[in-house]
Amino acid sequence: MTARQRADRLAGLAFVAPAALTVAGLALYPGLWVLWLSLQQRIPIFGITRFVGLEHYAFLGSDPRFWNAVRVTLVFTGASVALELVLGLVVALALQRQQVGRRLALSLLLLAWALPSVVTAKLFEWLYHPSAGLVNVLLGGRAFNWLGDPSLALPGLIVADVWRTMPFVALLCYARLLTIPPEVYEAARVDGAGRLATLTSVTLPLVRPILLVALLFRTLDALRAFDLMYVLTGGGPAGTTETLTVYAYRSLFQTLQLGFGAAIGVVIFAIVMAIAAGYLRALRREGLAA
Amino acid sequence: MGGPAPATGVVRRRAALLLLALALAGCAERRDGPAPVTLVFKHAKILGPSDPMPGLLRDFERRHPGVTVRSEPLTWTSDEQHQFYVINLDGASPTFDVLMLDVIWVPEFAQAGWLLDLSPWVTREELAPHFPAAVEAATWGGRVWGLPWNMNVGVVYYRADLLAKYGLHPPTTWEALAEQTARIRAGEGDRRLDGVLWQGKQYEGLVCNVLEHFWGSGTALLGPDARVLPDPSRAEAALTFMRGLVDRGLSPGWVTAGDEELTRRPFGDGRAVFLRSWPYALDLFEQAGSPVRGRVGIAALPGHAGGATGAGATGGFHLAVNRRSRHAEAAVALVRYLAGESAERALTAAGVALYPTRMALYHDPEIVRARPSMPRFHDLMLAARPRPVTPYYLMLSTTVQPEFSAALVGVKTPSRALADARRRLEYMLGGLR
Repeated sequence: MTARQRADRLAGLAFVAPAALTVAGLALYPGLWVLWLSLQQRIPIFGITRFVGLEHYAFLGSDPRFWNAVRVTLVFTGASVALELVLGLVVALALQRQQVGRRLALSLLLLAWALPSVVTAKLFEWLYHPSAGLVNVLLGGRAFNWLGDPSLALPGLIVADVWRTMPFVALLCYARLLTIPPEVYEAARVDGAGRLATLTSVTLPLVRPILLVALLFRTLDALRAFDLMYVLTGGGPAGTTETLTVYAYRSLFQTLQLGFGAAIGVVIFAIVMAIAAGYLRALRREGLAA
Repeated sequence: MGGPAPATGVVRRRAALLLLALALAGCAERRDGPAPVTLVFKHAKILGPSDPMPGLLRDFERRHPGVTVRSEPLTWTSDEQHQFYVINLDGASPTFDVLMLDVIWVPEFAQAGWLLDLSPWVTREELAPHFPAAVEAATWGGRVWGLPWNMNVGVVYYRADLLAKYGLHPPTTWEALAEQTARIRAGEGDRRLDGVLWQGKQYEGLVCNVLEHFWGSGTALLGPDARVLPDPSRAEAALTFMRGLVDRGLSPGWVTAGDEELTRRPFGDGRAVFLRSWPYALDLFEQAGSPVRGRVGIAALPGHAGGATGAGATGGFHLAVNRRSRHAEAAVALVRYLAGESAERALTAAGVALYPTRMALYHDPEIVRARPSMPRFHDLMLAARPRPVTPYYLMLSTTVQPEFSAALVGVKTPSRALADARRRLEYMLGGLR
């Protein structure tokens, strides 16, 4: 290595150092601390701090409340992300065709996305009101007990989440649609492609990469969803809408079982990381990620 | 600067003398009175027509020269307040001195060693003017950890006009209440008129509702010997009755998702006969333009036939001192001032939706003139009971919430839900005591 190369290398390290230190300080250190916490029984109100190893994880393995939370989290994520992608794409296609009032439509879309989720939750609390809520009025005055019925509460939350985050997907897709050159469509028309064929063999393949990015973002967000269920149902009725995040929150901040709550946090982290790794591999295949 | 500049040596000597004088003055002041201190008071914003807090704090500062109080707002959501306190108090943070805290957290924070023991300052006599239920919640392990500041109690609102129309008196048992509900609804023949509304959502409010039914049945969640669910058969009967209110159509199905506001509104619109809620609702029922203005009566929580006299659950906020506070004396003085007669009177007179903990204020002519229902609330608060006063309360409550909810929505039978709650609680608390 020449002196010049060595100097370059040092300079490079110096430039990377602030970022590396920031990541280490803000992400790595707290992350490792939570991992360490999860191996302890730590409950300040009882003055308990002792090392328990993997005991919390073993307990979680046989904890019906935990497995229920895992199931709720996965159902919520799968259903809401799937609906968001399909509806978002449909809305983006509709926007592209829309001649009048497109700006208004865009603003309205953004409004739903821009509302803080707690506000959205409060909004849906009233929409779902069994006797006075708009949803039941639109369904012909039927008295559906949206948030109080164990079989309706989770679907109700999924609809609220779709309403809130579908615009994000729609805007991403819409932006992509705008960048597709008109020549491509002209060529398709010349080749005699009908509307359906244009959609399936031209538009969709071109939108696909951006959909994958949206899928990644939305899945990771949905796995960590908290505000909606926390405000709307508090995890009820009968725990049917208690996600892993809500369970972790209750253990950590309400019952102060810091070690046990940290163990749930670690499990959430592991699930999110596993899914993110899967997606990244898929994106790499698409040539979208390094 | 005008005039000839003195030699630097002189300046330095003068500066040293000045510093010495200042230091001596500081010492002297400490000997004569308290050194200047700034207290930080964490509390939720007081909602109401006017905020009396700034005036009260300035008055306190006038009475305690050298003490400045800075008030820092908390959110109104109980869970967020709890989270804030847990993070800061566990981190041994001295960034605030006086805190407003939910009654159910007092033993928990005390056990955690986060609160200053107020016993050396606050005698039993000083606590006597406060409602017994509030005092009970402020003490733990024979020591005083907070001063009662404002109070809440579960009450039953009824439509006085409807009861009068059918010649009925406010019920003293749940069974009579159910009968009256059925009779009035049959007589009115109005599909839009609901029967009895209460809070059945899976949250803290549900625990209050269930506890009131437990007490009315003559049992409790935590027995006197700290045993969990000491009388399962009575508890089961209480839960079965609650579930029955929904099954029999006396309560609309949606009460299983109802919280305070969701249940308060339909009653306020004149679309329910009974409502179990808190005192704040009355101010809203009686305000100008309310459809039920002048038609609402207040009753005590009923008991159950063959059970016990009913009692409302209490809530409210206490004032306490951070054990890490560097200004304990001044902080205790602030707590005693704010929980004192004149401050509680000022808060009540300002028309805020909080009710005082001092019993005498409920019969004060001036206050009663502005709020005629005060004497009625006095009786209800006097008969009320606190939720279990234990450091494990939140663990207890969050564990039973899903189980109670499961019993109400019919996912589990009441006996199964209670058995599950009991098993879980015994496992969690058993390993800790």
